[in-house]
Amino acid sequence: MNELRREPVTGRWIVTYLDRIPTVKDFKIESNEKKGEATCPFCWGKEDQTPPEILVHRKYGPPNSPGWTLRVVSNKFPALRIEGELNKEGVGVFDMMNGIGAHEVIIEAHEHNRDTADLSYAEAEQVIWAYVSRSVDLRRDKRFKYILIFKNYGKIAGASLEHGHSQLIALPIVPKRVQEELEGAATYFSYKERCVFCDMIREERDEKERIIYEDEKVIAFCPYVSRFPYEVWIMPKRHASDLTGLDRDTVPCVAKALRDTLLRIKKYLGDPAYNFIIHTSPINGHDREDYHWHIEIMPKLVKVAGFEWGSGFYINPVPPDIAAKNLLSVKLEETK
Amino acid sequence: MPELRKDPVIGRWVIIATERARRPDQFASGVEKEELAPGEKCPFCQGNESMTPPEISALRKPGTKPNTPGWEVRVVPYMFPLLHPEGDLNRRGHGMYDLMDAIGAHEIVVETPDHQMEGAPPAAQLAKVYSVIIDRIKDLEKDPRIKYVLMVKNYGRAAGGGHIKHQRVQLVGTPVNLKRVKEELAGAKQYYGYKERCVFCDIIKQEVEAQKRVVMESKYFIAIMPFASRFPFETWIMPKAHSCDFYKTPKDMAADLGQINGDLFAKMKKVIGDFPYNTVLHTAPFRRQMNKRGYWETIENDYHWHLEILPILTRVAGFEWGSGFYINPLPPEDACKSVREAKI
Repeated sequence: MNELRREPVTGRWIVTYLDRIPTVKDFKIESNEKKGEATCPFCWGKEDQTPPEILVHRKYGPPNSPGWTLRVVSNKFPALRIEGELNKEGVGVFDMMNGIGAHEVIIEAHEHNRDTADLSYAEAEQVIWAYVSRSVDLRRDKRFKYILIFKNYGKIAGASLEHGHSQLIALPIVPKRVQEELEGAATYFSYKERCVFCDMIREERDEKERIIYEDEKVIAFCPYVSRFPYEVWIMPKRHASDLTGLDRDTVPCVAKALRDTLLRIKKYLGDPAYNFIIHTSPINGHDREDYHWHIEIMPKLVKVAGFEWGSGFYINPVPPDIAAKNLLSVKLEETK
Repeated sequence: MPELRKDPVIGRWVIIATERARRPDQFASGVEKEELAPGEKCPFCQGNESMTPPEISALRKPGTKPNTPGWEVRVVPYMFPLLHPEGDLNRRGHGMYDLMDAIGAHEIVVETPDHQMEGAPPAAQLAKVYSVIIDRIKDLEKDPRIKYVLMVKNYGRAAGGGHIKHQRVQLVGTPVNLKRVKEELAGAKQYYGYKERCVFCDIIKQEVEAQKRVVMESKYFIAIMPFASRFPFETWIMPKAHSCDFYKTPKDMAADLGQINGDLFAKMKKVIGDFPYNTVLHTAPFRRQMNKRGYWETIENDYHWHLEILPILTRVAGFEWGSGFYINPLPPEDACKSVREAKI
């Protein structure tokens, strides 16, 4: 018998298969064949094909030339524009405003074929620091309410360029799902006076069935209420509502958890497309007791059908305890 | 300058990226050809009735027997149901989590006995399909475990359709009220509480006046491309007269729904060819315990059923899932103009 599980934050229901659990070969994992670097604007030597760099780590060379190891630039085709006023207005029942915002690209390494999973811990740390420092900078802009950091890897996950990169969008509004998550967490807190995510961590640590990474500061697990097969959440163990509050001791742990998880996914599932999204508090200048920032990783193994669109009712064919066991079966070589 | 537009019902913001827009006809993406394995037969075709579980109901020519040819629309249980029809819910807790057994209904409505029609069945056939679906929902209402019936169509792989293209719709009777449905109901209720008018009726009124996003109208229905469309060519079909329950639609109106739905697809096909899409019915949940706690009295006044047709022409990236924040590269006004002007 399949199970219906209720996600405690937003209250969405998930059908978890227990009857017919697919194996890796049942998923048609589209090959991530690379077209190569000839036309790639993110490789060394193509710096003039992107807007000028906003943040950079370099070994040598002047700005906007080769020699960098991580580079943040504005998106050449931004979904939102940085200059202008919001001009909020109503048209009858409808509300609208100008599409003001920032849209940046974090190029994680200069090599064309290296994804986050292939980075060293030190390089992954640079990526996390780039997220933090770009967020800190953009939070000063009064027009923005939320900073969304995410990665699309592979064509079917929405990546338009194959060179590994994550993206940051500063928005003048709080997105719907974030708002819902905040409200759900607030409701739970008002009832229990505990953070729902802290409770989730406690539950996962008690059960020990779904954890795939844990150190002193950070934990990664396949949540009991996974919407997608092999979904993984990474969280700081100590309560923290915002990514920008990350300290020097925790950043390396987040980097390691992210790198290792993505490497396990890559090795076990054979380099599938995936998305990850950083869920963090809106920009409003105070710490929340009821919200806990985290990273959600979603491998793209199944097509999401109209069913999920229309209902917010998800079907997960791989129970999370089995996903965790499978991911843990991957041997990771010790690297620095 | 791109625009941020807000959906007036559930409050979702969408970026309408006006500057990057391709022309409407440049969104055509096509649907893959059907590839059956050697010896594989379509279980939904006339003559192959024995390949599915026995039919639940069918619209048949007089004198034909169940599970034999002679049907026009046929309803069968899903071969591998997500939700099983037999058993108790067994609601329980697991530490901090809540769960229950996956009990409910999962059925397939085969829309036509003929194999592989592109896009959607023609208007006359759709009229029959809707009338069969209405009867199925009326029947499912009798099962007190089922709170909501979700009607969904997935056509083409990109939209989650199977490799067999035979036109069909799924009905899922769920034992819980669904998140997205609740959100929409709550949004409509809030608007009603403030204005004492149905938000969907207000949208229809405004769209009829503006005439920028109305694709077409029939006797009882209107098809619009919503102001805050998430996808290029997203279209909603709504009854012009206020009604919250799809399954209470009278038969002559169901025929008219088939007509507008069929005509809409014929027009869209002229612009973007055969395209993958999802159709999702948005309707009010069953209200058997109207007077009990948790239901509101205004639901019949504040909610308005409608069909949402979501063409899947662009890749929806994960961040759109995770954030509920969409980027639509084609303004609905442009999409609407091109479809409205298509000649059929």
